[in-house]
Amino acid sequence: MARGSYDGVFVVGCGQTEYTRRTDKAIQRLIWEAIDVALRSANLPWKAVDGFGASCFVLPPDNVTVLAEHFGLTPRWLFQGVYGGASSIIAMLHAARAIQAGDADVVACVAADIFDVAMHNELLDRFNTSMRDYFAPYGFGGANGVFALHTRLYMERFGATREDFGRLCVAQRTNALLNPNALMKKPLTLEEYLSAREIAEPLRLFDCVHPCCGADAVILASEKVAKNLGVPLVSILGGGGQHNYPVEDIYSLRGGWEAMSERMYGQGRCSPSDLQFAQLYDDYPVMEFIQLEGLGVVPRGRTAEFLRSTDVTVHGAFPINTGGGQLSAGQAGASGGMIGVFEAVTQLRGEAGARQVSCDRGVVAGYGLVAYGRGQSSSAAILARAS
Amino acid sequence: MSKRPLPHVNSVTKPYWDGCTRGELVIQLCRNSACGKYVFYPRVCCPHCNGGDLEWEKISGKGVIASYTLVHRPQHEAFYQEAPVCFIAVRLDEGPILYSQLVDRPANVELVEARVEAIFQEVAPGFSLPYFRLSGAAPKGGVGKREP
Repeated sequence: MARGSYDGVFVVGCGQTEYTRRTDKAIQRLIWEAIDVALRSANLPWKAVDGFGASCFVLPPDNVTVLAEHFGLTPRWLFQGVYGGASSIIAMLHAARAIQAGDADVVACVAADIFDVAMHNELLDRFNTSMRDYFAPYGFGGANGVFALHTRLYMERFGATREDFGRLCVAQRTNALLNPNALMKKPLTLEEYLSAREIAEPLRLFDCVHPCCGADAVILASEKVAKNLGVPLVSILGGGGQHNYPVEDIYSLRGGWEAMSERMYGQGRCSPSDLQFAQLYDDYPVMEFIQLEGLGVVPRGRTAEFLRSTDVTVHGAFPINTGGGQLSAGQAGASGGMIGVFEAVTQLRGEAGARQVSCDRGVVAGYGLVAYGRGQSSSAAILARAS
Repeated sequence: MSKRPLPHVNSVTKPYWDGCTRGELVIQLCRNSACGKYVFYPRVCCPHCNGGDLEWEKISGKGVIASYTLVHRPQHEAFYQEAPVCFIAVRLDEGPILYSQLVDRPANVELVEARVEAIFQEVAPGFSLPYFRLSGAAPKGGVGKREP
C-alpha cells in the first residue's frame, strides 16, 4: 500500500434529493431521503450502516448523534462537519481512514440544509465571533461582500474581466439544464449575466448562489463489503484538507489546495493532466479560478485565458461542475460541500444520463467556513472508477 | 427597522471597543522581542509567534484600502436605507487588516490602495465603531500590484 493511500475502501453509492426553493419537509426527512437513495444505489440495507457523518447548518439544537438515534442507527463511528463547504470531502476522507483502521465497515456521509436568502444572511451575521463582531456591524453584505473583495483583487492583479467569470457561469448553466435535480431550469446568456442586477460590486446576481433546500449523500464501504455488492465502485486515489492557509495573508488569492495538492497527486500516483473533470466549490466564480490554480490544473493567474480557450460544459474538453454546481443547481447550505462529491461519483458510475461525460478519473474540491475575511478550510480528493 | 447588529464585548475585546468609544484606534502589539508584530482582531495570543504576552497600543488610524465593494444588498435590514454600503478592507500602516466602511465616498476615484484614516461614529448610546475616510492625495495609477 502506497504511503497515505486510501486502498481498501470504495465509494459504493450516492444519492441526491431534488433541489427546491422551499420545502415542507423536515431536515431529518431530506437527510433520510438522500441516504436512502444512496443505500439503494449501493445494494445495502440501513442496518448495514455502522458509521455516520453529517454536515448541516440547520441541524442544531440536534447533531449527528441525535440524528443517528432518530434513524435507529447503532454506529461505531460518527463525524460532524465543522469545516463549512470543505466538510463533506473531509467527512469522506475521515470515513475512509476509519474503514481502513477497522473502526467501521459501511459509512453513510450526508450533507443537507433547508435554506433561503434571509436564513443565509442571518447565519452569516452570527457564523462565528469574527463575522459577528467585525463584519456584521458594517452592513458587509454577507458572503457576497466578503468575496466581492477577493473578486475585485483577482481582476486587478491578473487582468480577468466580468466576461471571464461569466463564461464559467454560463457553461455551468448549460450543464444544469441536463440535471433534473437542479434548481435553475432556464438557459443563461453572457449578456444576461453581465447585465444582471448588482449585488456587491463587482458581483452581480449570477455570481451568487441561490440558497435552497436539498440533500446529498455517499456511502463508503470496506473492500470486503464492496466486492460483493454488484455495483460500480469508485476509488479515492488521494485527498486531503488544509486550513488557514496561507496563514498571514488574507488577500494572497491562494487557498489550501496549493499546499495539499502535491501530496494528493503523490498518493494517487497521477498528475493534473490525468484528470477528466473537476467538480469545484463554486460559492463564487473567483474561488473556482483559485481552485483550478491551486490544484495545478491551470498556472497561477491564467484561469481567464484557460476559459477563453476551453469548453468546460459537459460537451467540452475539460468539464467543470457537470451538474451545474451550486451556481446553477443551487446551494442547499452544507450540501454545497457534497454536491460535487455526489456529481463526481455519479459520473464515475456512468449514471449521469444526459450530462454523462467520458471519464474514469476526476477531482472534487471543497471550501468553506468563512471567518476573518476568507474561507478557512480547503479540501480536495481525486476519485476514479475502480478497475 | 430592526436594530443594527452590534459586536459582543468580552474581556478580550473590551480595550479595543473602549478605545473606539474614546475616539482612538487601540490594537494589540506582541511583546515577544523576537516577534513584535501588531495583532488585529483582538486575541488571547499572538497568531504570528503564538506567545501570550500582548499589550495594547494606540496606533495611527491610517492605512490603505486593500479592496472594497459597494454592497447593494446588505445582509441586514438595518442597512437597507444607506445602501449601497462601501465596505472596505483596510491594511493598517501597522500591518493588520481591519474591515470597515468608507464614508464620504467620492465618485470616480479608484479606491484600491487609496490612503484612508479612521474616524469614529456613535452607533449606540456610549458605543462607537471606527469608520474610514480618504486622506491626502488620491493614489497614482490606482490599481493594486499586478503579478506577471
